[in-house]
Amino acid sequence: MPTFYLDDEPIEFEEGETIIKAALRHGKDVPRYCYHPALTVVAQCRMCLVDVTDMGNGRPAPKLFTSCSTPAMPGMKVSLQTDKVKEGQNIISELTLVNHPLDCPICDQSGECDLQDYAFQYGTGHSEMTHEKRTYGWRDVGTYIMLERNRCIHCSRCERYSKEVEGAHDFGVFLRSHETTFDTFEDHRITHKFQGNLVDLCPVGAITEREFRFKKRAWKLTRTPSVCASCATGCNITVDHESNRVERLKPRENQAVNRWWMCDDGRIGYRQLNDREHRALEPQARVKGELIPANWETIQLAVITRLEEISARGDQVVGLADTTATNEELFLFKKMLVDCFGAKTYSPAHPQQAAPTGHFLNDLISPDKTPNSAGAKALGLGMDLKNDGVRKALEKSPKVVFVLGNPWSENSQLLALAAKADFVCHIATFSSPWVQITDVVLPGATFAEKAGTYTNKHGRVQRIFPAVNPPEDCRDQTRILLDLMRGLGISTEFNTPVQVLNGLGSQEAAFKGLTWDTVGTSGQPLAGIKA
Amino acid sequence: MLQETPILTKNIRSPGYDGSLEAYQKAGGHKALEKALKSMTPETVIEAVKESGLRGRGGAGFPTGMKWGFMPKNTGRPSYLVCNADEAEPGTFKDHFLINRDPHLFLEGLIIGSYAIGCHHAYVYIRGRSQAPAARLQTAIDNLYKAKLLGKAILGTGFDLDITIHRGAGAYICGEETALLESLEGKRGQPRVKPPFPATHGFNACPTSVNNVESLANVPIILNMGPDAFKKLGSTNNSGTRLVGISGHIKNPGIYEVEMGANLKSIIYDLGGGMRDGKQIKVVIPGGTSSNPLKPEEIDIAYDFDAVAKAGSMLGTCSLIVLDEDTDIVDLAYRTIVFFNHESCGQCTPCREGTFWLKNLVRDFHDNLGDQGKIDRIRRVAATMFGTSLCALGDAAAGPMKAFVEKYPEEFRKHFI
Ligand SMILES: Cc1cc2nc3c(=O)[nH]c(=O)nc-3n(C[C@H](O)[C@H](O)[C@H](O)COP(=O)(O)O)c2cc1C
Ligand code: SF4
Ligand code: SF4
Ligand code: SF4
Ligand code: FES
Repeated sequence: MPTFYLDDEPIEFEEGETIIKAALRHGKDVPRYCYHPALTVVAQCRMCLVDVTDMGNGRPAPKLFTSCSTPAMPGMKVSLQTDKVKEGQNIISELTLVNHPLDCPICDQSGECDLQDYAFQYGTGHSEMTHEKRTYGWRDVGTYIMLERNRCIHCSRCERYSKEVEGAHDFGVFLRSHETTFDTFEDHRITHKFQGNLVDLCPVGAITEREFRFKKRAWKLTRTPSVCASCATGCNITVDHESNRVERLKPRENQAVNRWWMCDDGRIGYRQLNDREHRALEPQARVKGELIPANWETIQLAVITRLEEISARGDQVVGLADTTATNEELFLFKKMLVDCFGAKTYSPAHPQQAAPTGHFLNDLISPDKTPNSAGAKALGLGMDLKNDGVRKALEKSPKVVFVLGNPWSENSQLLALAAKADFVCHIATFSSPWVQITDVVLPGATFAEKAGTYTNKHGRVQRIFPAVNPPEDCRDQTRILLDLMRGLGISTEFNTPVQVLNGLGSQEAAFKGLTWDTVGTSGQPLAGIKA
Repeated sequence: MLQETPILTKNIRSPGYDGSLEAYQKAGGHKALEKALKSMTPETVIEAVKESGLRGRGGAGFPTGMKWGFMPKNTGRPSYLVCNADEAEPGTFKDHFLINRDPHLFLEGLIIGSYAIGCHHAYVYIRGRSQAPAARLQTAIDNLYKAKLLGKAILGTGFDLDITIHRGAGAYICGEETALLESLEGKRGQPRVKPPFPATHGFNACPTSVNNVESLANVPIILNMGPDAFKKLGSTNNSGTRLVGISGHIKNPGIYEVEMGANLKSIIYDLGGGMRDGKQIKVVIPGGTSSNPLKPEEIDIAYDFDAVAKAGSMLGTCSLIVLDEDTDIVDLAYRTIVFFNHESCGQCTPCREGTFWLKNLVRDFHDNLGDQGKIDRIRRVAATMFGTSLCALGDAAAGPMKAFVEKYPEEFRKHFI
């Protein structure tokens, strides 16, 4: 590979690659606003200036070059440190702020603003601009976003995204000179499901998220890596939270899954994570037809006692799990039903995507709104789109029905069959019609409150981490299941979801070769599935 | 006493010449075209233009033959020749003069150039507001089609060519070649990132050469007189003549054709007739508003690319703006920066924000609100814009502002608060 030198450090590059691309790949930081790997190069912001002291032919460049538009040449010597380039960065920082309102105190971007960061890092720290700035007002440009054009630094990322990635062409450039403004077209309000990406792309606080507006200071948020649970695609995300509240979900780059993007439905998924109204918040047992609160010890004992009393086996016991459960939970659930009762477990099948349309963003949105159908399938849970298997199992009038999550909660026919059982035990995160027929409720945790893995629609296993604590009386489902199993007399070496996944590899063929560490930050395909 | 050298203007200067196709041919027109198409290969045409040393007349002075030589051959894509007739640089009025008075001269150059680079569809990009020249040009092109000098099998050779006039919407920046190409493609007229250059990725991403009207008008002349004779005109490295447009407080404003390298002062006094009412010169802008001003003591120089550059300015479009002692330099600077600020396309930071800031600073002097800090600031902002913007407009706006405050500080001091 040819090599150039960035401040004397050799950087290998591919033929035709720009300086910035090669430098970023080698972990170097080059200040930039308009450059984005997903978008065409326009070299408009001029922030990425470099001093080319040797163009590869022994001669220095006549002036500072923009590294985003300058192809690297073998033997080229590039610097981000010379006085000349520092002066250039200084100047661009100062000029970028000429018409900028600097309303950081009320700006949502503050704390994660490239302009703030670069002004601090590369600017002079003072301004001599004493004239009135050009101003515009707020614009309501989309169902998910707002536009504050005063803060716009004209990087044109929004315009290029809407042209090149989303394809809706809803952003345009208007007027010229210092009046140039990026805006939507008259009478056009953006309604598509990928507006949030504009917020992430905008390097400043010009495009902001309605959901997040004026709510939190970005620097106070803790970002926990995770995976979006709103559909089967499993876009990589961070769960951004403060004081045990989830404030927003943001995409996390994963070129194999979602690149830099996620959809707005996924973003709105944060609401449910804070929902207490529809949440199962405490263990409950049905006494004289009424569900009443109980403590964990009492209820666990009661469940074990009741199961021993009924002492059902085989077809007399049925397990129903929904596909919001993690791989680890589904595995333990299935194992409990097999090992303790010799019984079967069923999961609802969801319609999967037809052939990809070729529109990357649209193809992200899966018709299956659960995160782990592929995991359930890989673990061999009984699944069919017509629900024949589960119906037949329930028609055999089982005495005990275990429910994990809210499977088939909209299917009154199946619920009516299940209601005939002597004992229904429900591990629930959110309340659903199951509450009306269950005998006990064991409150679980959301995906933001526990560790584990999901398998996305392409068979890629990806990790989630606990970002916030579950409400006081709710518990990680892995722990609930392990406690039940131990109570039922099964010894298990597992204590945590991490141990479960590491053990899964030896017991389930599909998970062979997968461990918590090999799955890593960007996921790992199931055995036999190509990356 | 400096005299004109009428080469490009030979026809125009002959009494009764009306620029029609008949008149052009009667004056010996289209001989070069015939020679090129019938007895020369595209390569030998390019070679002759290279040999002549012709440098572009659009402002930058890039050798025309070399530009054509850069065009890749056999790409499987069409090649385009685009004639830049935007002429929006303040003070410049030579291209429209040629189009109005002798359109067939540069059109002949356009056809020969198209033949040289293998173009079968050429464009003339003309400023939207220039309705009369556009109409005039259209008539000339229609007549060429009628005479079978355009269209299929020109002059019975295998060479086909169509010419389309494209009228811009009135932005100075659309004279910059890549912005021109964007505009020609129907997009917002703003300059492109280079590389890639138009030679490889120009109009519709095909190999393209953009040439100024006057540059093309020189091509038939070169073929007629031969590159060696052409090279004898003008000074070293600056062959040929230039159409100099003189304006300002001058006795005889107008277009004058002189050999490159003629003495600038003599052009002003001998051809332009000196200043009106016997006034003194205060400032000379030698190559359109983009060029740095020269003080009266700086104008005893050869008027060619290299000598004017050496004097710290630019030959540009050879548009001489000569202003007298009554001129308020602050007014001039203000008017200039208002223009550049208005014409900045707004895509790159230094130019978009810098022209705005400079305009505000210069206006403070205009409003008698200046101070020394602001003089320093103008110089600093202008210096910093220089070389960091995406296209040459940023430089063109900054250079003169810096030069004005540096060369005429006392004029700015008069406007202190
Ligand atoms: C802001 C700007 C405006 C320009 N306007 C014109 C113009 O009106 N006419 C022109 O021929 N060239 C203009 N140019 C120069 C062109 O970019 C280009 O260099 C020229 O058309 C090439 O032709 P030439 O090689 O024959 O000179 C302009 C350049 C800049 C930066
Ligand atoms: S965009 Fe950045 S610099 Fe501007 S107000 Fe917001 S946080 Fe501050
Ligand atoms: S709104 Fe944001 S993304 Fe769009 S041009 Fe302005 S700063 Fe860039
Ligand atoms: S220098 Fe001015 S005109 Fe040229 S690209 Fe930048 S903003 Fe546009
Ligand atoms: S990142 Fe290179 S010019 Fe904007």
